[in-house]
Amino acid sequence: MSLDHIVSVTIGGLTVGMIYALIALGYTMVYGVLKFINFAHGEVFTIGGYVAAFTLLGLGVNDDMSPLVLAGCVVLALLAAVLVPMAIGFLIERIAYRPLRGRSRIIPLLSAIGVSIVMQQLIILVFGPAPVSMPSLAVGSASFVVFGIRIRVLALVIIAVSSALMLGLTYLVKSTRIGKAMRATSQDMEAAEMMGIDTNKTIAFTFVVGSALAGIGGFLVVMYYGSLKYDAGFLYGLKAFTSAVLGGIGNIPGAVVGAIVLGMTETYGVSLDLGFMAWFVVAGLILGLYVQMVRVPRRRLQHIADDRRTPAYEKSITDVYRLTPYYGFKTLLAERTDALLSVSAAHAVRLMFGNLFLAVVAAVMFANASVRIDTRWQPVIAFVVLMVILMFRPSGILGEAITEKV
Amino acid sequence: MAAMTERISSVLARVPRGVYMALAVVLAAGFPLLNVIGVVETAWLRVGVMSLLFVMLALGLNIVMGETGLLNLGYIAFFAFGAYTTALLSSPKFELRWPFLAVVVVSTLIAMLAGFVIGLPTLRLRGDYLAIVTLAFGEIVRLTIINLQGFTNGPNGITGIYSPLLAGGSEVKTGLAAWLTVDKPIEYYYLVLVAVVVVSILLANLKNSRVGRAWNALREDELAAISSGITASRAKMLSVVLSAGIAGFAGSLYAYYSNVISPESFLFMQSVIVVCMVVLGGMGSIPGVVVGAIVLQALPQVIRQAAGAARSDFEVYRMLIFGVLIVVMVIFRPEGLLPDKLWRRESHEVDPRELEKTRQSLFDLEEGEKDLEV
Amino acid sequence: MDAILELQGVSMSFGGLKAVDNLSFTINENEIVSIIGPNGSGKTTTFNVISGLYEPDSGEILLKGESVAGLRPDAVHDKGISRTFQSLRLFSNMSVLDNVLVGMHSVTDSGVLASMLRLPKVRREEQAMRERAQEILEMFPGRFSGPRQQQPAFSLSYANRRRLEIARALASDPTLLMLDEPVAGMNPMESHEVMEQIKILRDKGYTIVMIEHDMHVVEGVSDRVIAMDHGVKIAEGTYHEVANDPQVVEAYLGKRAAEATA
Repeated sequence: MSLDHIVSVTIGGLTVGMIYALIALGYTMVYGVLKFINFAHGEVFTIGGYVAAFTLLGLGVNDDMSPLVLAGCVVLALLAAVLVPMAIGFLIERIAYRPLRGRSRIIPLLSAIGVSIVMQQLIILVFGPAPVSMPSLAVGSASFVVFGIRIRVLALVIIAVSSALMLGLTYLVKSTRIGKAMRATSQDMEAAEMMGIDTNKTIAFTFVVGSALAGIGGFLVVMYYGSLKYDAGFLYGLKAFTSAVLGGIGNIPGAVVGAIVLGMTETYGVSLDLGFMAWFVVAGLILGLYVQMVRVPRRRLQHIADDRRTPAYEKSITDVYRLTPYYGFKTLLAERTDALLSVSAAHAVRLMFGNLFLAVVAAVMFANASVRIDTRWQPVIAFVVLMVILMFRPSGILGEAITEKV
Repeated sequence: MAAMTERISSVLARVPRGVYMALAVVLAAGFPLLNVIGVVETAWLRVGVMSLLFVMLALGLNIVMGETGLLNLGYIAFFAFGAYTTALLSSPKFELRWPFLAVVVVSTLIAMLAGFVIGLPTLRLRGDYLAIVTLAFGEIVRLTIINLQGFTNGPNGITGIYSPLLAGGSEVKTGLAAWLTVDKPIEYYYLVLVAVVVVSILLANLKNSRVGRAWNALREDELAAISSGITASRAKMLSVVLSAGIAGFAGSLYAYYSNVISPESFLFMQSVIVVCMVVLGGMGSIPGVVVGAIVLQALPQVIRQAAGAARSDFEVYRMLIFGVLIVVMVIFRPEGLLPDKLWRRESHEVDPRELEKTRQSLFDLEEGEKDLEV
Repeated sequence: MDAILELQGVSMSFGGLKAVDNLSFTINENEIVSIIGPNGSGKTTTFNVISGLYEPDSGEILLKGESVAGLRPDAVHDKGISRTFQSLRLFSNMSVLDNVLVGMHSVTDSGVLASMLRLPKVRREEQAMRERAQEILEMFPGRFSGPRQQQPAFSLSYANRRRLEIARALASDPTLLMLDEPVAGMNPMESHEVMEQIKILRDKGYTIVMIEHDMHVVEGVSDRVIAMDHGVKIAEGTYHEVANDPQVVEAYLGKRAAEATA
């Protein structure tokens, strides 16, 4: 495995990750404000891509045009890819979600699934069932070579544009009036209303911004891959949602981190040997052990009643934590232990199994170091990541934002 | 006019439920006779069989979705487990031909096992996350079926699944054994009908039992339920495993019936269609779910026949209508067409009219009592 | 008199806040004990710890000498502790009768297969459950009679919902009944009636511990009163002993008022 292979795979993963991030921001903002999974968000993304592609096709762009005209056409397409999704995002919130506000979690989710199906069928009815193809442009496939590594210009454009948009969004949420309104609404809708915030407007705004970002994502995807299918939004949407959960839903930097992690996992997963990836598992295991044995015990110790915090007691707890697996078995066998310790017993057992699992995974991967996962398993990776993260750490890598959530 | 409809509905409401059930069963059992006397084509029998299979699926999903209040978006995966188990145990693929009963039982058990395995780590998740996890599970199952080509023939699917032999080990084309071989649509129809009737009776019994009440209690208020002695994890697991088993059972019958199965039949859309059936019929209501499944499975076929539409166009409109239906139902009539008592009240969290009516009548009583007390 | 419930040095904290601090008390058989204290004094947390919703940081909880600390709520209920909630927590869309039947979950044992097949054993149990539910509902004469049992719980008046919650808690014939503010939000007449009913329950042999703010009720039914403040037990004894305890007065009215009374 050569270094330039790793570098080009990394750039590929980063590009994909940035696209996921653009879509994931919409999920995470809406979830932050409404505690609701906007299942139809993926379709908004598809529509962005379709609208952009059809605009360019309609304008008849080709390589013979002067660069200025070409740039104008691209800007027009971009505008279309932003405005149409914005309008659609606004409409679906108004029609299908607002009447259901305040219902238990699964009812609005059902409605969102319905909307997603409707939009998919509408895309077929309006644009036809065949995938839309971009006019082939030299700009789209342009690339350059650095240190023997071929890099597509468009990949860099995607990374740059996405990063800029994310910074802009962070500014919007943190430092503007409407951003403040969004944060307030997400904390406590009723209280925000009493403070004179128009929560309906704020929520609509959240949907519109999220949809615009998804539309741009669709535009970039159709430019990058050259075509888009009517049901692409399902998979992109789920991957973006996975990213959002992975980073910690409701957390804007989290969505970006999660998206990059997912993009990398997906591309590394099918492009690199198991032997190489096993080192990531090892790194995760070491980090986990550090957290379990040093950070968590220290934090727990702070909660112990003062009169019990004798040095000997602290030492005993720290010691058992240092031997987490051993401790797990011991408390399982013990008939009844100190209540404090028993809090940690179940936890310790879970941790032990988690560590063991990771160790076994790493061992298996090293044993098959030269094997590479077949590309047809690539779509499975995102689903497995989604299941694993929801099962073992539903709050995500950076945690669900509580005070800073949007 | 309004008074009259009210009168009619009050009369209809007084007819015991059993009468409706019996009527439904008689109608369903009589339907193939129309084919026998030549009024309807055999194609309609096939529509009937598929409708009944979807009724079974919807009944199974209703346990988790309607009774326990957990949304499962990968339900079709359990159907796939049942279907593939059957296909592998009774087809030339591995040159196996197990007896019908053994195959059905094993298929059901495998699906239940799958439900257990997926339920174990996920059931403590909150509702919307659980829905997404089950969706991911469903997709993983489907993609794995496609990718494990040596085992499942990948996208091509498994063909030549043998017909079920209700008795005997091998295919004998004479006497009683031949009579007990199910291979004509009408025979499948009755086989599935019996299965559906049995399953719905068992589920109706369960609904009004200690177990069913525990599920409802969990759906209503989990904290109060566990404080009333219900072990949430066990009760939820039970509902997931049971519903998975029913899907596996349906999947087994489906594999036998269709002779050919392929991953195409187990798309996410299929899960959504079953969800749609439950929502349309009425979550938690057995008659509602039965009606929902039949309406959504059979009615489009009828319309398609009448309109003479091409298959691909038709699919688009069918799904479009399904999508619209879900949205419209959850907004305007979340309790479904034939609501269960419980959901009718919950879904309109504050239905002013109904609430007022109930309150009014109760208020009257309350006042009377107070007079007595003083 | 045998001890039914015994708390030994129970502590529970959230983050840095000690909601319950080294709390010990005993509830004896067939006794009504009231826990009083200002808001935020840790009364409901104590209930939650006993009923298994929280796991205590330290300390021991014994029910008839057997430890229930750290058990899950359903297991605690199995052992014989049943409770009501301060904010009503009924299964509001289930019928009145079903609410009571759910309360019997841990004292019945029909399994899923038997229930599906409706075996004679299940029918008998169901019949017995319904009869028992009838008896319990009749403890509140005229409140849950006839057709009203089939109505959803949410349609009941506020006071009746509180009564129904007590009925649900009684359904499992608990060793210890815990009532969290049973008369909250009731008018004086209604709370008087509940008070009488609580007394009847004691006469039937139940052991009751309750949290209550209504001093009239506390005075009327309690054999013993425990006062809490800031998670600590500040007084224990008969109503009059506790009510006149300077620490209790201080907790409720502040230091100056306490000095004034003294």
